[in-house]
Amino acid sequence: MEKQMIISVMSKDRPGIIAEVTGAIFQLNGDLADLSQSILRGYLTMTLLAAFPEEVTPQDVHSAIAHVKSGNRYDVIVKSMNTPVDMAPTALPAKTYIVTAQGENKSGLVYGISSFCFERNINILDLSTTLTDGCYTMILQIDLSEIDSIKDLRQDLDKYAEKAGMHVMMQHYDIFKVTHEVTLI
Amino acid sequence: MLRSDQILATVEMIQKENLDVRTVTMGINLLDCRSGDVRTTCDNIERKIRLLAENFVPTCDRIGRKLGIPVVNKRISVTPIALVGQGFKRREFVELAKCLDKSAGIAGVDILGGFSAQVEKGLTESDREYILSIPEALAVTEKVCASINIASSQKGINMDALVMVGQTVKDLAEGTRESGGFGAAKFVVFCNQPGDNPFMAGAIHGTGEADAVLNVGVSGPGVIARSLERLISNKGAENLLLDDLADEIKQTTFRVTRCGELVGRQVSRELGIEFGVVDLSLAPTPTIGDSVGEILHILGVDAIGAPGSTAIVAMLNDAVKKGGIFAGKAVGGLSGAFIPVMEDAVLADAVGRGELCLEKLEAMTCVCSVGLDMIAIPGSVDADTISAIIADEMAIGMVNNKTTAARLIPVPGKEAGEHVSFGGLFGASPILPVRNVGKSSRFVSWGGRIPAPVHSFKN
Repeated sequence: MEKQMIISVMSKDRPGIIAEVTGAIFQLNGDLADLSQSILRGYLTMTLLAAFPEEVTPQDVHSAIAHVKSGNRYDVIVKSMNTPVDMAPTALPAKTYIVTAQGENKSGLVYGISSFCFERNINILDLSTTLTDGCYTMILQIDLSEIDSIKDLRQDLDKYAEKAGMHVMMQHYDIFKVTHEVTLI
Repeated sequence: MLRSDQILATVEMIQKENLDVRTVTMGINLLDCRSGDVRTTCDNIERKIRLLAENFVPTCDRIGRKLGIPVVNKRISVTPIALVGQGFKRREFVELAKCLDKSAGIAGVDILGGFSAQVEKGLTESDREYILSIPEALAVTEKVCASINIASSQKGINMDALVMVGQTVKDLAEGTRESGGFGAAKFVVFCNQPGDNPFMAGAIHGTGEADAVLNVGVSGPGVIARSLERLISNKGAENLLLDDLADEIKQTTFRVTRCGELVGRQVSRELGIEFGVVDLSLAPTPTIGDSVGEILHILGVDAIGAPGSTAIVAMLNDAVKKGGIFAGKAVGGLSGAFIPVMEDAVLADAVGRGELCLEKLEAMTCVCSVGLDMIAIPGSVDADTISAIIADEMAIGMVNNKTTAARLIPVPGKEAGEHVSFGGLFGASPILPVRNVGKSSRFVSWGGRIPAPVHSFKN
């Protein structure tokens, strides 16, 4: 019986990280199912989903990755999955929207908009932020499946934008898909 | 994964640069509504339009709201009414126009096109009755638009019809004297009229189409103007070549067209009505910043109509098509850059300054869509001269295998340089002088036909 584990790795970015981490998993007869990584200002974080033979423990995986002989040690967290992960490709929800919020940089901006979402049971699927010349831009991909009235939400968002002193817009994800991707409509 | 630069470019296009879907037009076949008498025919027409278009406007509005892209106009086009009304007399055609007006009102659409005929080779007795009914039909209705195809590359130009339409334009303007001859703004004469064009006043539901179909007209001269300005300001004019600018137009048009396709397909799915085509036309509105003329300025002529204007329009027209054709599953209609003088504030200004004349407009229509459109001329210009101006425009379409059209407004009681305004989307403009008035009557009075040009020996 195979055991699925979710592994999180963080390190200063340099060549060879993926090779070393997946090499350690391979040595333990692990089978890699999915991987996502991103680099933020020179720091890499990676999340991996892998299946291991019954006898391999999360501690084994942790020490195999943490003790890879390399320039710097990895910060590693490993969790065993109690319920099997559904590996079927997941489509985005039908009511996926993109919110862009721009305004003068100050602390608490991400907290503010994410609290707005949390209060309304809106799940944030993806978020990216940039700071250019003192202007802070947040782009959120959100799931409005739990929202009945988009019109009311727009009104709430307008009020929030005014209070927060930000320029906030919300549009359906389909628009971005058709304008950026060469794909069937 | 979210790419913020792309997301922000699209947000700018929609929110700041006024991207909209200019029109969703529902084409409806009326041939099966014909009965032995006009009353029953009208009842059938009203019933059919009500049945098909009942949820049309609310559905467009709802999808526009959902996607955050407004559908500015909701329109209906119908089978050319002269086909539906064969055998009817002038009075009965006026009744058909009233019934279409009433149906358009019930459906809540902005405008209805298809009070039309196709007479490029010959006129039936009913076609003549239809043409004679146009001035009254458009005067007693509000939302009905008329168009007539009098020429094609395959059949030539019907000069008998040409004489009649010149007079019709005069009568329409005279009949609506108190509104500056506005009646003539609802009537357009075509060569090679497409059967799936969603834009007015020339929209019809052609024969060979399904029973009902949705066609979408995208637009966005403002979006293209802003994207060019941004490119020039980011890269510096000295670092750009004309083909870089053509490419920017192409890419922007791609994105604009994709939005139109998305809206159209969702409306089509919800209504259960077949999706026809996206029309890629670059249609200006009198709103400041929504002008084709402004794009010409950005691309390098300081006066619209200055040498170089025709070359720029040719490049613009082609780039719009190249970007749009790949973006849509099926592209049709007029699909080109329009230069309707009254509907484009920058073009109207150029007329006022004497920079843009009728002859240069005619030259520009050789390389773009759709013809001499929304041009106010002195009310004193006679019907034969108007027919002859139309004949020249028809000849351009006929020989070049393209659609051309003429929508001229001889403003009653006003002369060149004076001003006329229709308000709203129809716009305003100074009156354009016409040279050599009254010198084409012998040509027009021949009647008959200009035979179709050869379609081989292309060298």
